[in-house]
Amino acid sequence: MKIDNPRPFLGFGLGLRTEHYQHVIEHKPQVDWFEIISENYMVPGGKPLANLDKIRADYPMVMHGVSMSIGSTDPLNKQYLTDLKTLINRVEPFWYSDHLCWTHAHQVNSHDLLPLPYNEATIQHLVSRISQVQEFIGRPMLIENLSSYVTYNESEMAEWAFLNEIAKRSGCYILLDINNIFVSAHNHHFKPQDYINGIDNERVMQFHLAGHSYQGEMIIDTHDHDVCDPVWELYTYALKRFGAVSTMIERDDNIPKFSELRQELASAERLAQKTLRAEQLLISGRPVLKGVA
Amino acid sequence: MSDLQILQHGFIDYLLGKESGIDQHIQSTPTLSAGKRLNIYAYAYKARLKEAVTTDYEKLHSYLGDEQFDQVMERYIEKYPSQETNLRYYSIKMPALLRDEEPFNKIPMLAEIADIEAAFANSFDAKDSPTMSLNDLASLPDSAWKTLRFSTHPSIQLLSFNHNSFDVWKALSEDKEPPEMEHFSAPETRLMWRDSELITRYRPLSAAEATALAFARQGQTFAAICESLLDHFTEEEVPVHAITFLQTWVQEGLVSSLNY
Repeated sequence: MKIDNPRPFLGFGLGLRTEHYQHVIEHKPQVDWFEIISENYMVPGGKPLANLDKIRADYPMVMHGVSMSIGSTDPLNKQYLTDLKTLINRVEPFWYSDHLCWTHAHQVNSHDLLPLPYNEATIQHLVSRISQVQEFIGRPMLIENLSSYVTYNESEMAEWAFLNEIAKRSGCYILLDINNIFVSAHNHHFKPQDYINGIDNERVMQFHLAGHSYQGEMIIDTHDHDVCDPVWELYTYALKRFGAVSTMIERDDNIPKFSELRQELASAERLAQKTLRAEQLLISGRPVLKGVA
Repeated sequence: MSDLQILQHGFIDYLLGKESGIDQHIQSTPTLSAGKRLNIYAYAYKARLKEAVTTDYEKLHSYLGDEQFDQVMERYIEKYPSQETNLRYYSIKMPALLRDEEPFNKIPMLAEIADIEAAFANSFDAKDSPTMSLNDLASLPDSAWKTLRFSTHPSIQLLSFNHNSFDVWKALSEDKEPPEMEHFSAPETRLMWRDSELITRYRPLSAAEATALAFARQGQTFAAICESLLDHFTEEEVPVHAITFLQTWVQEGLVSSLNY
């Protein structure tokens, strides 16, 4: 699978949340694009899809999933993939993404993003499954690094090396969550800058920013706070390393007014303007990650 | 089983509170043991499911209060490890739990309140479908009536109550004191559906209309619906009542197609 290069730049987006539907539909605030949680719209009909269609008419979108369970040892969920493809055809997103994790195994769904052991056997397992998904959907996908709280004894490499290898072999792209790097670096005692330096530049397609919470000695990826200063600093570091990358802020709990989130997104824009040249931040026309077999 | 499969099954067993041995695969650090690290996930698993159930059964929660509702949730989560890909559907078996298990079924109203909340959720995001107008009905050729069948809107929910649970639900929705439980001598039926503005509506159904609508939803002909009404009306009265029901359903957006 191939995409047009250089890396398309969509500008700065926000996660679309039900709390903001009315505001977005009525006021059409200036945001370059929205990211939707795919599963929220994988329902038969009614208001969720009606609101989605209304907002899609005014804004570009990308799709972000939480339930593909790409790292699971259970068979790929064909019904899920069929529903996802139906939604992709409806939304026509720039791209779709999910996580470097597993959520479902042993006939149980954890509804959580559970980490994988980082070794060659897992790489082969993931590359095979990502390839099947990309083949079925007909477009390459983005895989996002997650926040994690455990390390397996079976892990034999750094997470960034694992992620690079999967992207290289499967042809998928990377959604780099800057907050998740910060959280995992704290929880597993590595330098977040090493992660950013270790990631293959040409595979990175999108950034996530988010807030987190301290719980004793651990940081938990709660998405219920503003982006904190150390994560902004890491974002600046990532901009210097990768250049312009489509950036969005995820907020899933303790959701503030839309205007407050929009202000927070403006902070990301200002940092990018300070860090990069103006011509780097020109928004691409209509980049689409169309798969080419 | 592959090593990864063994590890994932063990992880899931840990989340479910079973013996798993997964902690043998997790690195402990000087300040945080493998068990404590795993507990972050075990806590999140239950918290996430409880959040989903709480969102779906807000009025049941109000009726029971925090403590008893938490007992219901604990039992639900224990009995039904999630097999749903989408959290939206996790709590759909709640009415069944409350109907089937002691001590919850000692208060039969609980299952009926859960029925109402589940029906709202099911109606809310049911499949979209076109709706017929009175003009469509008026345009039917005379010959159509002999074989006329309907398809009904996918959002329709028919709820049967042996108690005044709907009044209790309504009072809770309006932040009012719910009435005492009352047992009906005969079940009452309520219709719930999503209108063309995507607002969920509800109204009571007479026994006759409930019978007719149930027949219509089964794909029976208009003639068969009329016949079913003979238990409720005289032969002379049936056509007028059947037509009135049909006109009402069309006006309310309950009829998706007229087939003949």
